[in-house]
Amino acid sequence: MSHRIVTILLAAGLAGSLLMLLGSISQFSLPGNQRGYEPVQPIAYSHRLHAGELQIPCLYCHFSAETSRHAGIPPAGVCMNCHRYVTSTLGALRAEDELAQKEKRQPRMIVSREIQKIYDALALNAKFEREPARRLQPVVWTKVHNLPDFVYFDHRAHVRVQVTCQTCHGPVETMERVRQISDLSMGWCVNCHREVNRAGVSGRTVHASTDCSVCHY
Amino acid sequence: MAKRYWKSLAERESAGQRSAAPEFAGTPLQVEAGRDRRGFLRAAGFTFAGAFLTACRQAPVNKAAPYLVQPEGITPGRATYYASTCAACPAGCGLLVKTRDGRPIKLEGNPDHPLSRGGLCAVGQALILGLYDSLRLKQPQARGKPATWDEVDRALAAEFETIRKNGGAVRFLSGTVASPTVRAAIARFLASFREAKHVEYDALSCSAILDAHEQTHGARLLPRYRFDRAEVIVSFDADFLGTWISPVEFTAGYSAGRRPEAGCFSWHAQIEPRMSLTGTKADRRIIVAPGEIGPMLSELAAGMESGAPGGGVTGELAKRLMDARGRSLVISGVQDVSAQAACNRINHLLGNYGATLDVEHPCYQRTGNDREVENLLRDAAAGKLAAVIVWGANPVYDLPGGEALARVPLVVSLGERMDETAAVAHYVCPDRHPLESWGDAEPASGVVGLRQPVIQPLGDTRPALESLAAWSGAPKPAYETLREQWREQVFPRQSAEKDFEAFWERSVQDGFARVEPRGVKVQPRDLSASAPDREASKAGDFDLVLYAKPGMLDGRHAYNPWLQELPDPVSKVTWDNYACLAPATAQRLGVAQGDVVRIDACGKSLELPVVIQPGQHERVVAVALGYGAKCSERFAKVRPLWLGGRSNVGANGLVGVNAAPLAAFDGGLLRYHCAAAVAKTGKKHDLACAQDHHTLSVPKKLAPSSGRTRPIVQEVALEEIGKLPPPSRGPHLELWPPDHPYTGRRWAMTVDLTACTGCSACVIACQVENNVPVAGKDEVRRSREMHWMRIDRYYSGPPEAPEVAHQPMFCQQCEHAPCETVCPVLATVHSEEGLNQQVYNRCVGTRYCANNCPYKARRFNWFEYAREDKLANMVLNPDVTVRSRGVMEKCTFCVQRIQEAKIEAKREGRRLKDGEIQTACQQSCPAQAIVFGDLNDPKSRVSLLMRSKRRYRVLEETNVRPSAGYLKLVRNRPAGKEDEHRG
Repeated sequence: MSHRIVTILLAAGLAGSLLMLLGSISQFSLPGNQRGYEPVQPIAYSHRLHAGELQIPCLYCHFSAETSRHAGIPPAGVCMNCHRYVTSTLGALRAEDELAQKEKRQPRMIVSREIQKIYDALALNAKFEREPARRLQPVVWTKVHNLPDFVYFDHRAHVRVQVTCQTCHGPVETMERVRQISDLSMGWCVNCHREVNRAGVSGRTVHASTDCSVCHY
Repeated sequence: MAKRYWKSLAERESAGQRSAAPEFAGTPLQVEAGRDRRGFLRAAGFTFAGAFLTACRQAPVNKAAPYLVQPEGITPGRATYYASTCAACPAGCGLLVKTRDGRPIKLEGNPDHPLSRGGLCAVGQALILGLYDSLRLKQPQARGKPATWDEVDRALAAEFETIRKNGGAVRFLSGTVASPTVRAAIARFLASFREAKHVEYDALSCSAILDAHEQTHGARLLPRYRFDRAEVIVSFDADFLGTWISPVEFTAGYSAGRRPEAGCFSWHAQIEPRMSLTGTKADRRIIVAPGEIGPMLSELAAGMESGAPGGGVTGELAKRLMDARGRSLVISGVQDVSAQAACNRINHLLGNYGATLDVEHPCYQRTGNDREVENLLRDAAAGKLAAVIVWGANPVYDLPGGEALARVPLVVSLGERMDETAAVAHYVCPDRHPLESWGDAEPASGVVGLRQPVIQPLGDTRPALESLAAWSGAPKPAYETLREQWREQVFPRQSAEKDFEAFWERSVQDGFARVEPRGVKVQPRDLSASAPDREASKAGDFDLVLYAKPGMLDGRHAYNPWLQELPDPVSKVTWDNYACLAPATAQRLGVAQGDVVRIDACGKSLELPVVIQPGQHERVVAVALGYGAKCSERFAKVRPLWLGGRSNVGANGLVGVNAAPLAAFDGGLLRYHCAAAVAKTGKKHDLACAQDHHTLSVPKKLAPSSGRTRPIVQEVALEEIGKLPPPSRGPHLELWPPDHPYTGRRWAMTVDLTACTGCSACVIACQVENNVPVAGKDEVRRSREMHWMRIDRYYSGPPEAPEVAHQPMFCQQCEHAPCETVCPVLATVHSEEGLNQQVYNRCVGTRYCANNCPYKARRFNWFEYAREDKLANMVLNPDVTVRSRGVMEKCTFCVQRIQEAKIEAKREGRRLKDGEIQTACQQSCPAQAIVFGDLNDPKSRVSLLMRSKRRYRVLEETNVRPSAGYLKLVRNRPAGKEDEHRG
């Protein structure tokens, strides 16, 4: 008798939960599927500008993808390669130049707000010298493409056989803010492995192992 | 008549079948809710389903903070290796430190090091955990309270000034100082005092050897022993493969001289009172009482001098030795000068000096002087000393009478932790961990090792060199002191590099430098016959023998949970020391394993549980040093994982009991033997003994009626190797379809049982590499120790004088794996390269696979084993998943190393080379007993060894087709003479 009451109550509770979830059924995805994840980053870095418009190759910044498991986020030093000289947009610099000409003075250095964040991280003063009194503040990015701890994905192997970055990361060169395009599930990875074992990568034969231990150890 | 093997006396008595205890021992859990399991599951089912759907939506947010300026050569995700020198014991083996993200995570032996040749013992492997130890002092202590370095320096400067004015006596007490730089710094510091002395001692003392050489050769030195050049080795109670002086170096040399395929095989005789690790490898083992060793040496020396060796054991030894003049080695670990002098005489008569013993280029791995430390303790007790500074030693713990140090008005300790000596010290000035320090070591004349820091110091500690410099009035960083020493003392001793900077860079890169040996002029004298050693006093029925375990040494690593859980290679007991008794003695006393006895010796008494030790002399009770240390208090806080669990520590709040007070100074030497009385107490102690765990033998109800037992360990006598049939290719009939084509590589491993000494370096190496947890004493009692690699120790023959075989056992990566077929979720499957893969995220914890494994190689995570210590977690290998509760794990042939090497080779566009991939166990083995490689490459080392006639597979008859082959154990004695063994 008491068993039946418990069963009924719990069934009612389950029905209630299901009703509550009906509203968000369109957003349903399996737990762990983070497709569409587009977190705000500490610096509003635009891939559309750098990789798309300026056509900087992916591996210029994410150079670790060739030599390590992790592609890595570039150290601030890589940004400074250009931003030692590029302090703001061309438009803003031109506007300042015109204003300076009109006001008959030297153009001031304009630093865009986002680029200033790099200089602050490296504790640089206006003359791009390190100020010893200020603390260095590493930039803490939010990782967009996350795999669980028990998966060991290795970029090297994929970059070596010339799998393009866009294959998994989508058209990053069109993104203002990086967004996860693929669902990065194991099934998605294994399907691609099976496909390239059959059809190759850009016509080249490859052997993409489907052994468990190539990723799970 | 095939040999019968047994792991314990209980197994032997039950006719070789498995003990009655169930394999997966444990208490079944009673579930109260719902009054039965179905009710509980029903109630749980609904609730969990509802909660599940609402709860799981977003994965945790991960942050990534790259370098601001990435240093050149550092790639995140790739390891960087640095060469250094080990400091776990004074032997000074070469080290390669693997670092990731700016911190070391693994230690390996340096294959280029001339002494250790790439091996690293268990204690050396475990040294890394001492770096990430929350017990380490983070700042200096002044009179019991934390202080800053400035405060301590000022206070000490004032104290030292007072002492200088009053002419007080100062002593610097240390262990063997292997570092010439530190030695010079100590001398500089002590020079400012009128009455000052640097006293060195070793808790495991070889002072008698040093004193004997002073007597016979005119210089107080320790010769360099060349086991690789010896064809006949006779050891009188010297555990040279386990704990004596430099076990890694000696194991490398010993195994180099025992390669049957290369045509050389030495003859090794061990004369000892108890079963030591070295004794397990001996071709001829003679069991004697401790007091008989000295007279035996004298008799042997006299016999050889007179040319008439006589009969009996000494006659046999003499004959063997005289047949190998200049190619033999007689050593002794006995702490008696006349016995050691007799040993020197024997070696001299045999012409071994200059061949297998080098006194002109001695070794500096033991420089302790027992007489001086005895005088120091006497002076301390009498109040004659003004100050004692202690470094690299724990005298209050490991010296009898060490408590006298507490009487000294100023005691300064440079130790890393709050050990017994630091507890009585007025000022504790913690030294840096060796992995955080610049330093050097000269283990053997002509080989100077360098030590470099691989991590920023984790606390506010200061290197001993800097402390000494500061107190000498000339503060200087340790790095500069070291470089200065090298520029002035080491660099001039070589001529290959003309520029010091180039020499320094090369030495730091290599981890050592080979320079001109500091030749010692020896003048052999007084090698005439001396009076034989006096007979052991017959008072007392027993002889107490104190010894060191290979996994714990003198107790300096008692804080280390890995070493506490490492089963002792001979007794297989963990988390304890105990009183070893011979089987007949135990029967006579009426005690069984685990019964507590009281040992009265040297006016002190100890209570310890009994362990039955086959092969021990009947008069001997053997107790291990290194236990009952203050640093093991921390294991009380490692909570039992469930309510019924019992603590790791004993009633005294420590792991084991300190036996060091039972040693005694006698005639200026620290003696480890004395007369004793043993009495039953009636108490019992539950030992965590791993020897009967994971037995491969057949359970009673399945045993064949013929009485045949499984040929798990196979042996062959040296002379019969030629008669061995070619290795079997397995049975021809197959029920299995050929579903593993192995078109690419095929991984396999061979273990040479002849080379394996059972030292267990591989066990700890595997534990570090693969993030294997420590289960704790109570779990070990339930056979739940987590070691992926274990060493099974088998006895054979009569219990009074058995032979011993060590067999490393790990997942054999079977081709027809019984575990793969029974996993309901396919968490364990076969890879296309021959590995049996364990996929942790898929495993649901059925444990059917472990049930099916004939080798009992699988380990289940019964609990979420403790990983709360965030600092200790820094040692975890990021390339290996950390397993949580409910997941099965096992040896993977270091698949993470295989993957890394494969991808690197792919990236560089080349093939993998044989020997490029080394598993952790293989890399650490001092004897190079393990070989791993590609079986599909006919020229690889592993293929050659698999084709060897000595190769067999364990439990081959089950047709599981393991990828691991074992090379039969070769003994250098006549075939079929198993019984002619006891002396």
